[in-house]
Amino acid sequence: MTQPAERLPRESLLWIFAAQFAALLPQFAQLPLWIVFAWAFAVYWRLEVFRGRRDLPGRAVKLLAVALAVGGLALSYRRWFALEPMVALLAVSFTLKNLELVSRRDAFLSLLLAYFVAATLFVYEQTIPYALYGIVCVVIITAALAAQLGNFSARPRRALGLSLKLLAQAVPLMLLLFIVMPRLGPLWAVPQNSASASTGVSDSMTPGDFTRLSQSDQPALRISFDGPVPPPEQRYWRGLVYSDFDGRRWSQGYGVDPREGGAVHWKGREQLLPEVGPRYRYRVIQEATNNPWLFAMARPISDTRGVGETEDERIVRRGPVYSRFAYEVRSWPRETLGEIHALGDFERRRNLQLPGGGNPRTRAWAEELRRAGFGAEEISRRLLAFYNRSFTYTLKPPALGADSVDEFLFGSQQGFCEHFAGSYVFAMRAAGIPARVVAGYQGGEWVAKEEYLLVRQYDAHAWAEIWIAGRGWQRVDPTAAVAPERIRDGLQSAAADEFMQDSLLPLHRMAFLNRLRLEWDMINYRWYQTVISFDSDKQQNLLQRILGEVSPLRLATFIAVPMAAALLGILLWLWFSGRGETLPATSRLYRKFCRRMARAGMARRSGEAPRDFARRVRAEKPELAPMVERITAAFEKAAYFDDPAAEKQLRRLLRLPMIKM
Amino acid sequence: MQKIISAIVADIGRVLLGKEHQVKLALACLLSRGHLLIEDLPGMGKTTLAHALAQVLGLTYKRVQFTSDMLPADILGVSIFERDSGQFRFHEGPVFSQLLLADEINRSSPKTQSALLEAMEERQVSVDGETRPLPEPFFVIATQNPLHQSGTFALPESQLDRFLMRISLGYPTREAERALFLGVDPRAQLRQLKPRIDGNTLKKMQGLVGQVKASESLLDYLERLVQHTRQSPECAMGLSPRGALALLHAARAWALIHGRSHLLPEDIQAVLPSVAGHRLQSEGGDGAQLVERLMRQVDIIAA
Repeated sequence: MTQPAERLPRESLLWIFAAQFAALLPQFAQLPLWIVFAWAFAVYWRLEVFRGRRDLPGRAVKLLAVALAVGGLALSYRRWFALEPMVALLAVSFTLKNLELVSRRDAFLSLLLAYFVAATLFVYEQTIPYALYGIVCVVIITAALAAQLGNFSARPRRALGLSLKLLAQAVPLMLLLFIVMPRLGPLWAVPQNSASASTGVSDSMTPGDFTRLSQSDQPALRISFDGPVPPPEQRYWRGLVYSDFDGRRWSQGYGVDPREGGAVHWKGREQLLPEVGPRYRYRVIQEATNNPWLFAMARPISDTRGVGETEDERIVRRGPVYSRFAYEVRSWPRETLGEIHALGDFERRRNLQLPGGGNPRTRAWAEELRRAGFGAEEISRRLLAFYNRSFTYTLKPPALGADSVDEFLFGSQQGFCEHFAGSYVFAMRAAGIPARVVAGYQGGEWVAKEEYLLVRQYDAHAWAEIWIAGRGWQRVDPTAAVAPERIRDGLQSAAADEFMQDSLLPLHRMAFLNRLRLEWDMINYRWYQTVISFDSDKQQNLLQRILGEVSPLRLATFIAVPMAAALLGILLWLWFSGRGETLPATSRLYRKFCRRMARAGMARRSGEAPRDFARRVRAEKPELAPMVERITAAFEKAAYFDDPAAEKQLRRLLRLPMIKM
Repeated sequence: MQKIISAIVADIGRVLLGKEHQVKLALACLLSRGHLLIEDLPGMGKTTLAHALAQVLGLTYKRVQFTSDMLPADILGVSIFERDSGQFRFHEGPVFSQLLLADEINRSSPKTQSALLEAMEERQVSVDGETRPLPEPFFVIATQNPLHQSGTFALPESQLDRFLMRISLGYPTREAERALFLGVDPRAQLRQLKPRIDGNTLKKMQGLVGQVKASESLLDYLERLVQHTRQSPECAMGLSPRGALALLHAARAWALIHGRSHLLPEDIQAVLPSVAGHRLQSEGGDGAQLVERLMRQVDIIAA
């Protein structure tokens, strides 16, 4: 049995449970349900022990509990070496620790573990609400630690007060460490659950995909520019290129995706860098998509580590974007680039591919145009004019049958960007012109206050690119022919009646809420810019900006100077607050006298009255006595007889040397 | 006035040899209208001191020896039926005197102790539903044996607090003892003592005590002393406001005895052990050492 002194204070038990609950609460959503019950049961048992109704479980029960927990984990998770099972294992061991929560040491162990469990929260989420929740967790856990001190320290106000005080004191240190602590790259890649649904633009396009995206106002990209901002009609954020059509579904085609062996230039295409500088430099912060493709304007090059360029002028990341990811991009608009390589044979065939049959009317129509001997641009112009004449842009197109392109072009004539882009590319290919569908986002909301472009999921868009001999790939947006306002002003104005019609409340129609949402997005953007994406590069930059040059000496100075300043400040504060109100003049004078006497080898003892002191001086240093007695008499008169003349006399006496008489 | 006080001190000094400090303390206690508790071993001169004070100050003096079987009526008095007049008549107890020596107060039962202590606080006695004022001035000098002696009932803190001072006399000095051996008879001296003042003069002197001035610096020192007792972990409980006031009064009387019209820190230090000693309690028990430390820890001049 442990010694009584080491037992944990009884009243602190509730604190421990509160800390555990706080740490586990966000995990409960991720963990299997039985772990929640296991925790509740362990807490219940421990409370029964607390109330004296039950004993702590014996060895057999504990072994059984461990066996059950491990078995449960094995059943719940097939894979072991992934993040979720590891977090679950941590939570379970944390839970089971309650069954042997006896000594203060156990409590410390449990609470330190709670810090760790609370930190695992950030593996999943790094947004502001979670960060705030993390702070709450730390406050509660620290309070629980404070409650272990005994002596009624578990009283809520006392424990919380101590916790807040400690944490407030730790804040400067935290900020310092945040800035100077070396940022290590991950030592190993944490295996994440790749089965979780991907969001945003997917790697294939079937009718209805974009309608789904148009229902969501989640942010997708935030783009800040270094230098000029492209005009709205240039804001095409290319993510995917679909070259393969099977009659219903557009997809990338085999061998394009880097995961299928598509060629990616990981180290920047130095040989391709044109003479003219990039027109646009920007930084994209992309929300988690669980997909590897990134979004940029045409002809992008990225210097961010782990980002490479593909052959079809996109950028991709080595791994999927599981959490917010920021990358720097430089883009050269196509018209600024001089040299055009001829389209390779393989590429030409790929971009002329059509399914074996179907859509005969469109094929015939395109064939006719081709026979007429029109060039690519003329055919495109005619097609766009056709769209412009008789098509309507709607988010709720009628369903299409097997020959979807035919039905769309010559039947319903109502559609959405994917219909326009798909039918356009089909028709162009049928007319013998290499064409492809490009998917990504178009437009975005300019947030003037923070100077970034906010692109939401409903900005998802599909458009086309055609190959024109001598000019290369050219962007053509058939949707612009039908609904130019879609391109200029965004979806919301183009389809005002249909926009987000299915949402429960028409919140997007309330200007106030929209503004609020934008504000919130700005805060999020700041948060990500300054806190989450503070990686080793940014750290280097910041330190360089502060220090000029990052050398150990400067770094040490950088740390030492503020610390010294802070300590000095505290010292001064203590000095001044310790003195309270200023001393009366007589006391100050007498203190001065005492200091002088101390130098002469006659220190006044604390609590020694002036007269006693004078008497002692007479006994021990008679040569000083006459002066001391006069000073003492003057002091007594000034301090205790309230004689203003005596104060002056005291002042005068103190100006004289000690042994003068 | 100073002359009279010196004469009083000198007079008592002739009876109680070599105890000038204690005599002055006792006098200061009486001048500030407080009651005095003398704690010492038997035969140290407690009774002599009380008796001498009564003689010199010209007060009526009664002495009660407390025993364990004493009842409150033995002190306060009792109504007795008189056959001649056919009426009850109140026979005043020893408490109806100007100076009462309650000898060995801690030998009696708490009931009796509290009867006396009540009289001390109220300066009046209620018997048979009738309130009778005690004579003016009214002092109690109580003596008690050290508590470890057998057959004693310790006075509780609330009752100790009624005494302004607690002093102990201590063994006589070598010279004093030698004088005793040589045949100086304190009792004979005692009988020869003549009253130096009367009740009115005493009242006047008590009035003078209130006029001794205390400067800001001094009150500041007093305040810091009191605060220290309340905040120091050594003290189980700090000085009460009554204790603090008692300290100030006693120090004033002390200053008056020394012929000063202003208080000095020394005055406070002089009376501090006697005034605070029985009011403070340390974890260990007695407050005497605690007061010593207190005096050393709190400097006279604010830091």
